[in-house]
Amino acid sequence: MILNRRSLMTTALTLGAMKAFPGLSFAQARPLVFATFTGSWEEAHKAVLVPAFRKANADAAMVLDPMLSVDQIAKVNAAKANPPIDVMLHDPGPALVAIGQDLVEPYPVEKSAYYKDLIGEAQEPMGPAPFFQVVGLTYNPEAVKTPPTSWADLWKPEFKGRVGITNLNSTLGTGWLVEIAKMRGGSEANVDPGFKALEELKPNLAAVAANPGALATLFQQGQIDISPGNFNAIQILKARGVPVEFVAPKEGAIAFKTTIHIVKNSPNRELAFKLIEAALTPEVQTTLMNPPYLIVPTNSKVTMGGEIARVLAKDTAELKQKFVFQDWKKINEQRSAWIERFNREIKI
Amino acid sequence: MGAAPASRDVTSYGMGLAAPLALFFLLFFVAPLLQLLWLSLHNDTAGLHWGLGQYLHFLTDPFSLGVLGSTLLLGAEVTAVCLVLGFPIAWLYQRVGPRLQTIIILIVLLPLLTSVVVRTFAWIVILGRQGIINATLQSLGIIDTPLKLLYTQFGVVIALAQVQMPLMTLPLITALGRIDPNLDDASCSLGAGSWRTFFRIVLPLSLPGVIAGCTLTYAAAITAFITQSLVGGGQMLFMPMYLYQQASTLQNWPFAAAISIIFLLAVLAVVSVFTTLGRLSRGYGWA
Repeated sequence: MILNRRSLMTTALTLGAMKAFPGLSFAQARPLVFATFTGSWEEAHKAVLVPAFRKANADAAMVLDPMLSVDQIAKVNAAKANPPIDVMLHDPGPALVAIGQDLVEPYPVEKSAYYKDLIGEAQEPMGPAPFFQVVGLTYNPEAVKTPPTSWADLWKPEFKGRVGITNLNSTLGTGWLVEIAKMRGGSEANVDPGFKALEELKPNLAAVAANPGALATLFQQGQIDISPGNFNAIQILKARGVPVEFVAPKEGAIAFKTTIHIVKNSPNRELAFKLIEAALTPEVQTTLMNPPYLIVPTNSKVTMGGEIARVLAKDTAELKQKFVFQDWKKINEQRSAWIERFNREIKI
Repeated sequence: MGAAPASRDVTSYGMGLAAPLALFFLLFFVAPLLQLLWLSLHNDTAGLHWGLGQYLHFLTDPFSLGVLGSTLLLGAEVTAVCLVLGFPIAWLYQRVGPRLQTIIILIVLLPLLTSVVVRTFAWIVILGRQGIINATLQSLGIIDTPLKLLYTQFGVVIALAQVQMPLMTLPLITALGRIDPNLDDASCSLGAGSWRTFFRIVLPLSLPGVIAGCTLTYAAAITAFITQSLVGGGQMLFMPMYLYQQASTLQNWPFAAAISIIFLLAVLAVVSVFTTLGRLSRGYGWA
């Protein structure tokens, strides 16, 4: 919680107002709470999105509360009638869980000034996608002289004991398993070929990280030289001087929509809508696309530039052509069974 | 002075003073635990159907039982390492001068002042492929290819042993401090060698400290989520990670609740074995 003279004043005035007008409930006096992700997301949102929202909304009181998607769902689930969060941020899997458990409100599309400018894949009526996360191959250019071009390169004998993956707790791990299943003739409904491929990958595996953050550490330690990895996570490592590069495999980089939702029964519905609107504006998206954040924009009016244009896509058309979007509804149906199977079968 | 109640027994105490803490525990410990138990007795994730399904699922599944078994075994291994390494330090502490004592206590306590996350990351640096151990062995020409230390049971045990070591050493130092040094001399003057003195006098008398240290280390080692998952990696599954996976990733709260209850009971069982041993040892020590 950011405590300064202004917010203290606001609180004092609000408390005073509540005394004068006892009809005002406490819920209305609470600042807007935006649950973002931890790490680079929190930094990016604190530096860009929050100031843009404050500027457009007369310094409305708001709080960033960084936590994982699954924790956001747990928190809102525990207090559905009076949720402690107004705006949630979700990867595709958790987003469907939140929608399925009736925790979010439909986005007021007709009121939105920017929704129609989003590329088709980002137009989600239950909560639009202001950001994409992109998963491709990440490698250490000092150890891997020829840049990899395909997911299949991970199976090359030269990478014996040098490959890292994450387990299926993360969106990254699950999405990647689906992609290698597809590469071998499977699909979201049938990941058997993916598990078979994992079995064959075992001699090459140096580590199964417990989460994507741990995977990044492994590059720093020289424990692994190549892995499926997240574009944004790699940029942070690069900025810190770790030798690491990202390539989109020829099968297509996996794109995860990061959707933003108004929580059902939020006492700050109007402000929640305005925060999401701010996230969809070309200005905010352009700033977030530039270093150090390098977040892929979804507003088609944003011209791609810099590192994103170089490694990912020059424009929306190329983006659509190069990115693979997965059917997370299908994935969620069997995800727990896959996690269980991964627990049992993948021992290195 | 007839105001003092004559019937009041001097060994009885007013319970009123303990009431605030008791209330606190009831509210923030017992109540959530009961809620957890209540949740675990449901067969579906929505919590509508009562039943023992979650417990049956766990107890009939060799995989789940394997996770429980390997977690309990991990605790035993870490406790053993801590005891073997911690005892000499505690023993030394009682035999050296005050200046060295300060240094030893500082070394024992220092890790407690550092975050577990930091200490665990340090172990990643030490055990890694290009870590301190592998780099040293390679430069000495002892090995050609780096040893696999990180992401192994061995690595987890070593890292956990270091992280939990103070919990073992401190009770041992206290227990050894209570032993009268004259007993050592008496034993020697009666013709016992140092090893005999150690096994017949020092060890039995220090057993309360050993039991306390083992209980603390054991409980801390098997529940150490951070060290287990960072040094063990994503493919080595112990109970805390299993629980996290079910609760957070899969939102299967009833099964996660059942796992917690089973884990709790298993830990309580082990701890009560320790306390029983402690009670027996007290009789032995005084005999």
